[in-house]
Amino acid sequence: MPVFLQNILVILLAAYMAWDNGTGNQITGNWPVIIGMLVGLIMGDVNVGLVIGGTLQLMSLGVAAIGGSSIPEYGVATIVGVFLAIRTGASTGTAIAVGLPVGMLTLQFDVIMKIINNFFAHWSQRLLHEKKFEKIDWVFYLTVFCWMLKYVIPITLVVLFGTPIVKAVLHIIPTWFTNGLTIAGGMLPVVGIGMLLRYMPVKKYLTYLILGFVAAAYVKIPVLGIALIGGAAAYAIYQHNSQKLTQEAAVVTDSNQADEGDDFDE
Amino acid sequence: MSKDLQQEADTSRKLTVKERKSMFRRWIFSAGLGYNFESQQAPSVAFSMRKALRKIYPNDDEYIEAMDNHYKYFNVTPQMGNVILGATLAMEEKDGIKSKDAVQSLKTSLMGPLSGVGDSLFWILFPTIMGSIAGYMALQGNAIGAIIWMAIYIGLYWVKMWLFNLGYTSGTKLVTTLGAKINVFTDAISTMGLMVVGSLISTVVKVYTPLKFQTGKVALSLQTGVFDKIMPGLLPVCLAGLVYWLLGKKSWTPTKIILLIIVICLVGSFTGILGIAK
Repeated sequence: MPVFLQNILVILLAAYMAWDNGTGNQITGNWPVIIGMLVGLIMGDVNVGLVIGGTLQLMSLGVAAIGGSSIPEYGVATIVGVFLAIRTGASTGTAIAVGLPVGMLTLQFDVIMKIINNFFAHWSQRLLHEKKFEKIDWVFYLTVFCWMLKYVIPITLVVLFGTPIVKAVLHIIPTWFTNGLTIAGGMLPVVGIGMLLRYMPVKKYLTYLILGFVAAAYVKIPVLGIALIGGAAAYAIYQHNSQKLTQEAAVVTDSNQADEGDDFDE
Repeated sequence: MSKDLQQEADTSRKLTVKERKSMFRRWIFSAGLGYNFESQQAPSVAFSMRKALRKIYPNDDEYIEAMDNHYKYFNVTPQMGNVILGATLAMEEKDGIKSKDAVQSLKTSLMGPLSGVGDSLFWILFPTIMGSIAGYMALQGNAIGAIIWMAIYIGLYWVKMWLFNLGYTSGTKLVTTLGAKINVFTDAISTMGLMVVGSLISTVVKVYTPLKFQTGKVALSLQTGVFDKIMPGLLPVCLAGLVYWLLGKKSWTPTKIILLIIVICLVGSFTGILGIAK
């Protein structure tokens, strides 16, 4: 594939990723392993794409934008990493060393976009009151366009200027530095794990956290097996608690309707 | 499922199946795109409901009043939003502008519990399980995991359509049928999440030190001789505890912690305290 066409397709993928991840589809989402595979496909080396995507996927496990919270853009990091690795022949460690900072900087665009969107929201509501109903759609399409820019801008900059910069940097990066980043790659999944633990009722169900750990660390059950055991436990607990719920409901018929939905957490 | 909908069609139904599907698509292809810090997903809700509501309210004033309602704060896991919007559509179709307050309270009372389930399933459980499977496969150059992931998420389109129809056919009953049970479900499913997270601590997190103690002629490796003897994954467990504790502090964001870990690893690599795990 000609270099020019590859550049265009990589930028288009960034635009698609922004759109897809903002919707309820998430077919490519920001998931590094999928994005890595697709960039690899465009750049003509799926293997490199998979290795870098897979590494970033494991690093980002559990790091999720729950309730719209802002987290590093691992999808952008993947595009940058794979693109530059294939263009310059950089190692996986170096690719991630360059990709991850770009992903973190892109996060700032996300915050800016959510502020700009506020303006679009008011504009669209103003159009409603002016009875220009058809125009509401156009304001929304404009929002979507701006939303895509948050990935398109950084990726375009990297596509245009990244290769010579990385080629220059490659000669001066010392081994301990790339090694350090590889070590960090092994440690970083802990951030996602910490975030998940903060989100879930750890204190209430500590038993299952320990069980999961023992099943993997000592018994060496693969993750899907552990998930199935967890699913079995979840089913039992659900059965038990919903039975309790119907019994309670039978006693107090209508007093439990008032307190629904007050535990909405971001 | 669309057959069931047609069968119960009566005079109060103002929308065709096609129009409802169009509304579903407008939501699912736009859900979080209008996201802003003030009303969050409200612009996307307004965008997706706009055409269907116009059919329900031919009167301009009523239409504006009803639409204003949908510019209010709304935030839900996009995949689960279908259920709520389906239900509100059915309510407005049946009762018109009179249902305005009921619509608003249905939206606010259900978005919390439904986000609880949605976030657990679509943001935590599935991506964590599938991510670790597909991630390890990809490291060996195997694309099957990533392809299966994409295929499942494409297949979810029809599940989301079913959820939308579920909301639409239940209408106001949704609160009573789902209401409390959904919290019980979210609570139960978190045990599955916690087991998976527990397993990840020992399998995915890698902390390794090449340090050795020299006692006379015998060299004792700190990693294999001490840490691994005490417990497999001892260092990852300590690290996870530390990060969990830091995340509880207001001044520490995930991004800061990521930077901290990178700095520690660079220093560790430079001084030889940390090494690449085997």
